[in-house]
Amino acid sequence: MGNCLKINSSDDISLLRGSDSFIGQDGGPMPIYQHEPITQMFYPASSSSPGAVAAASGTSSHLPEEDQIKIAKRIGLVQHLPIGSYDGNSKKARECVICMVEFCVDEAVRYLPCMHIYHVHCIDDWLIRSLTCPSCLEPVDAALLTSYETT
Amino acid sequence: MSELQSSLLLKKQLAELNKNPVEGFSAGLIDENDIFRWEVLIIGPPDTLYEGGFFKAHLYFPKEYPLRPPRMKFVTEIWHPNIEKNGDVCISILHEPGDDKWGYEKASERWLPVHTVETILISVISMLADPNDESPANVDAAKEWRESYTDFKRKVARCVRKSQEECS
Repeated sequence: MGNCLKINSSDDISLLRGSDSFIGQDGGPMPIYQHEPITQMFYPASSSSPGAVAAASGTSSHLPEEDQIKIAKRIGLVQHLPIGSYDGNSKKARECVICMVEFCVDEAVRYLPCMHIYHVHCIDDWLIRSLTCPSCLEPVDAALLTSYETT
Repeated sequence: MSELQSSLLLKKQLAELNKNPVEGFSAGLIDENDIFRWEVLIIGPPDTLYEGGFFKAHLYFPKEYPLRPPRMKFVTEIWHPNIEKNGDVCISILHEPGDDKWGYEKASERWLPVHTVETILISVISMLADPNDESPANVDAAKEWRESYTDFKRKVARCVRKSQEECS
């Protein structure tokens, strides 16, 4: 566990150096949840989610490094939120309240912990700016962290 | 959200407001070719000092709307603690989300992408009726509102009269 503490205290640096952060963990147990999101965060940002990256770089091009790191962490957190496809039978929401366009059947929607749904690109762009559900104001990060602890 | 989606969303709102006008204000565009710049006419809310006035204001939407809020500026002269002397409206729902350095605004009071021209104007109309003197944009108006209400009323009444003359 001492190892974890050390990694946690140097998060910002390990994020900047990229692969360096893994060297110290050779042979050790897989990272625990406390810092798993952080180590993962940087990588989805640069590969698996072009939309989110575009949005983030749009807001971050002139930001100080610490803010860019914060955005990278957010993108990682957002990637953990489930995506489903709209089944057309949902009685709850017929349109995405961000763009006010009706959902199409089988369209990809992002589920927030409060169960509000949005178009993936609409809500992801927003969550990078604020980790709050636009409909009910439920903080998304707190809910996510709780779900990490309980699972 | 692309610029195209932003403009579609604003066009939708304009069409809806034209079809089903909302009490208390009317809305249109400054230039009919530019969906990002709106002109609204706010009717001074009844039972307030602003009753009888017709206040023109402009809304300037960013290309990132609804992820980022518009700016709002009164074009008609108006005396109010939360409106700067140059007309800029200072209301928390028009403040960008993110960290609040001073810690006096909750996320719930700040901008949300579900806000529309209608919800913004409802907030502004309620602000006219009920100024918030905790974070005044016009310090002189706020001081007057607290300490010499008669002078405050006189200044508002003058704005109301002036707005009626400009409109007629």
